Amino acid sequence: MTELLQNLIDGLGRGSIYALLALGVAVIFGVMHLLNFAHGELITVSGYASFWALGAGWSWYLTVPLIVAVSVLTSLIIERVAFSRVRGADDFTLLLTSFGVHFVVSAIFLLYVSASVKTYPRPAWVTNTFAVDSLRIEVFDTVVIVVTIATLVATTLLLQRTTFGLSLRAAAADFDTARLMGVRSNSVIRGAFALSGALAGIASVFWLMRSGSTSPTAGIDPMLKGVLAALIGGLGSLRGAVLGGFTLGLAEVILRSRLPDSVASLTEGVVFLLIALLFIFRPQGLISVPHAERV
Amino acid sequence: MLEVSGLTTKYGEISALREASLHVGAGEVVGLIGPNGAGKTTLLNTIAGLLAPSAGGVVFDGDDITGHSPEGLLRSGLALVPEHRRIFVNLTVEENLRIGGVTVPPSDRPGLLDEMGERFPILRDKWTTSAGYLSGGEAQQLAIARALMSRPRLLMMDEPSLGLAPLLVDVVFELIDTLRSQGRTLLVVEQNATKMLDLADRAYVLRSGEVVAEGTGAELRDNRDLFDTFVGN
Amino acid sequence: MFPNLRRDVIFPVCGSVILFVLFVGVGLAYQSQFSGAAERLVTFALIDAILVLGIQIYVGNTGILSFGHIGFGAIAGYAFALFAITPAEKLKRIPDAPFGLLDVNVSPWLAVVVAVAVTLVVAFVVGIGLARSGAESGAVSATVITLALLFVTHELARNWPDLTGGDRAGLSFRIGGTLDSRVPVYLALLVSIVLARLYAQSRGGRVAVAAREDDLAARAMGVNPLIQQMVALLISVVVVSVGASLRVYENGSILPRDMFFNLTLVTLVMLIVGGRRSVTGALVGVAVITTGRELARRLGQDGFEVFGIGLDGAPLDWIFRENLKSVFMGVSMLGFMIWRPSGLLDDWELDKWLHSRFGRRSEVPPESLPVIEPDDSSVLVAEGVDVAFGGFQALDDVGIRASRNEVVGVIGPNGAGKTTLLNVITGLVESSSGSVALGGVDLSSAQSFRIARSGLVRTFQNLRLFAALTVRENVEVSALVAASLRRHRPPPDVDGLIAAAGLWEHRDRRARELDYGTSRRLELARAAATAPAFLLLDEPTSGMSDSESLLMVEQVRQMAGLVGAGVVVIDHDLNFIIGICDRIYCLDCGQVIAEGTPEEIQADPVVQAAYIGSAAGD
Repeated sequence: MTELLQNLIDGLGRGSIYALLALGVAVIFGVMHLLNFAHGELITVSGYASFWALGAGWSWYLTVPLIVAVSVLTSLIIERVAFSRVRGADDFTLLLTSFGVHFVVSAIFLLYVSASVKTYPRPAWVTNTFAVDSLRIEVFDTVVIVVTIATLVATTLLLQRTTFGLSLRAAAADFDTARLMGVRSNSVIRGAFALSGALAGIASVFWLMRSGSTSPTAGIDPMLKGVLAALIGGLGSLRGAVLGGFTLGLAEVILRSRLPDSVASLTEGVVFLLIALLFIFRPQGLISVPHAERV
Repeated sequence: MLEVSGLTTKYGEISALREASLHVGAGEVVGLIGPNGAGKTTLLNTIAGLLAPSAGGVVFDGDDITGHSPEGLLRSGLALVPEHRRIFVNLTVEENLRIGGVTVPPSDRPGLLDEMGERFPILRDKWTTSAGYLSGGEAQQLAIARALMSRPRLLMMDEPSLGLAPLLVDVVFELIDTLRSQGRTLLVVEQNATKMLDLADRAYVLRSGEVVAEGTGAELRDNRDLFDTFVGN
Repeated sequence: MFPNLRRDVIFPVCGSVILFVLFVGVGLAYQSQFSGAAERLVTFALIDAILVLGIQIYVGNTGILSFGHIGFGAIAGYAFALFAITPAEKLKRIPDAPFGLLDVNVSPWLAVVVAVAVTLVVAFVVGIGLARSGAESGAVSATVITLALLFVTHELARNWPDLTGGDRAGLSFRIGGTLDSRVPVYLALLVSIVLARLYAQSRGGRVAVAAREDDLAARAMGVNPLIQQMVALLISVVVVSVGASLRVYENGSILPRDMFFNLTLVTLVMLIVGGRRSVTGALVGVAVITTGRELARRLGQDGFEVFGIGLDGAPLDWIFRENLKSVFMGVSMLGFMIWRPSGLLDDWELDKWLHSRFGRRSEVPPESLPVIEPDDSSVLVAEGVDVAFGGFQALDDVGIRASRNEVVGVIGPNGAGKTTLLNVITGLVESSSGSVALGGVDLSSAQSFRIARSGLVRTFQNLRLFAALTVRENVEVSALVAASLRRHRPPPDVDGLIAAAGLWEHRDRRARELDYGTSRRLELARAAATAPAFLLLDEPTSGMSDSESLLMVEQVRQMAGLVGAGVVVIDHDLNFIIGICDRIYCLDCGQVIAEGTPEEIQADPVVQAAYIGSAAGD
């Protein structure tokens, strides 16, 4: 029982970051029907920014806002350069465009930055733990979960209570009719990318704090987690993205603890297998959003 | 108020609209009738900026608005209630109305919302209901109210009675009549030719993308040939 | 299987040989110019071509984006290595190999066969998974499943050292050196090109392409896209498996990262640059990308010296770096997706061009057309149909009857339920009660493609042609489907139907280039070509002028007569309806309010009131 609870907590902690990543992916999908394989590059960029800042003597207090700012800026640049030019294209083109962006950005990093892993100092409290009964809880996990919940609340408020959020939800439902209502399409899209960038930025902060290092390929893993979590949750809804993130986190933790040692290293593979099975039997994900097709 | 001249819109090679011209004067109710596929929706969508014409122009209150974006046009006072209503089914009734009012100064919005609530009591009852649960007639009222939120000078409507039971059709046409008596300028596309012609000051008949007839409501209604073109002998 | 022997077999085979010769020729020319490493480069380019062709067979014909084919390559590569490496070598690398593989010692050729067999089994299972997820062109879930395959194979390869040698060492070997001669590669390449072209021209390939263009329309003519997607997958996997085995043989080793993201990216870029719908394009893409990569690599190393220019490269040093080729790849992919998503060649094929220039005997439209008599008098009956959408009653106890020697019309105001009725009959919408039967056979809950196969074929209110295909190809695929389903009946004459529909002069134009009236006639001809029991037409004259509508009366009668079909037609154009129908049903608010002959309907006051509205004016 204790083990289960421990798994639960660890899984939630891990899943929180995935949920944040998935939210960023889901926001873009909701607005453009585009699955953003380039989402992880925001983390890579943030990683190098952190390495530079911390190396130059900045404290983590200053580095955190830098990370978010860099992430938002990069997201906007990518939108301007690539995604804005394929709006309305078919799904095949959109998928490959985002794949292409991912490769260009990571290739540029490989080109100009040494392929070696760069490390930087992590905040002192990252490895602290405290105990509740027989459960060992990481301070880090607690902070992440709290921040994730706060971010979710803030994002939800943004989307539900502000005019921007309203415009975004309207444009996501019916792009052209939203324009008829006077919603400025381009601004809304850019706003969505900025929001996605901010969400990635917050996720980056924790991802980077935990890993203490970055490399040109640092973004692949978080990208996959974010994309998969968003897919698991069902691409139409933000709630689904969050649910998908927690599901993925829990699945990973539970599998790792349950699988026999000999195959423990196959956890990643098993997770993928389970995801494939999910898509075979429930292609619309966990929370499906129905849409009718006019015949 | 609105002057459309020689408007041609193509889908690829196909001309959905061929040199269509019409005009709407301030305070007028102008009807646009014609069979399916005649290009009526294409015409409205082109005026509203959703489609780009390949030839011709649109002038609104003296300004050339050809090719302007829909967002911009709404701010100039031109609103469209699209075909099939197209309310935002993921938003509540109130949110749909609020979207309609995004171009209005924030201080005016609460007043407008109250006004819509009064004018459309059915919507008031369902203020916080998700718009996806509205019936056809309620959805149509919501679509019209939503368009009115932007305080348009010219309101265009695309087949407001589409898919509605005869009783509700009457309700919609009463609504249009009320709008007319308030001095609003309307351009209405309708399948229901007779009712539209009864109500309109003037009307145009569209067929295969071209304007084939024009006249007052009464003239067109009593024109036997025209009627035959539509509904057989 | 192949509708036209010259066009679908002879020319493709000849064209493939020519392509092969050209492709290899360019490679050999390059090789003779730059010795040394160039030879290896060309060998790998040839092998890449095999891989890309394999991927093209699936992605090009089904429209489903697969990231997983290199995963299949990994399976084949490891299987090949495990069977081809001598036991002595295996003992050194993987002493604890499972399944008794240590003792297996087989010639490389047999190893390839085994590799293909093993991969096919996996592909079959994956294919079932894809079908279950409802794969269709552009479907995200299908792509995710293929991505999962890539990752699962990668993880397995990395984490099962007993079988695969693990992440670091992998499996390496010398089977009498690496590939000594290129003959096997040449052979495999030639066969792959021929196979890719023949499949695309075969009935199966055409059906897959039709489903790629419009899944719904394909099902409405009796196609079950899932079957052909599986066939395309299996054929593509055979080709990819052979390519992967050759790659491993040439490399002399296999590591997990050899068959993972990098190779996936390279092959995908090659595919889309050339044009994913074209076999010729696949080869062009391989050539272009290989050249580009090599150039980028050289520039990255030597700067402008590559061109024999001894420039002080300092100002441009920031571009010329190692790994320039990965930037080149990414930029190519992105650039093409933004500016030319259909690739350099779109769907152009060398043999198709040759055929249209030199291969066609002058074609004359057939003059008299054989009329196919209806072979039974099955009656279409819909009874007591109820459909509710949310709280809205779309259909309320509706019933119609039609026999094969009559034309039945369904009229009514917008929103009356006419299209909904048609959707119920053809299986797109489920009714809450009531039944639909053809010739006594109940079709009420059947899937749309089965209903089409039983003989009910429809057209759509929103035109659904196979846009990228020509007029002739649109009608042909229909006839192909009919021919295989109704073997006991003579197949419809495609050219005859095209001529009768007045489409002869347009026969080689793509469907998306046609004007509206012609498109509608094509839709009708395509539906008729399935030789159905009934043609169900949804507003066939919508958007037409008077004269066009009257022409349609003749068209519909003629098409139906040529294939022996009964007709049920929905339309608003009363001139058309009265001109063509034997009996008419009038619907309003989801109910049948009147039924009768055209004269009766026109005189019916209930119909007048509903259609024309109250206060008719006189």
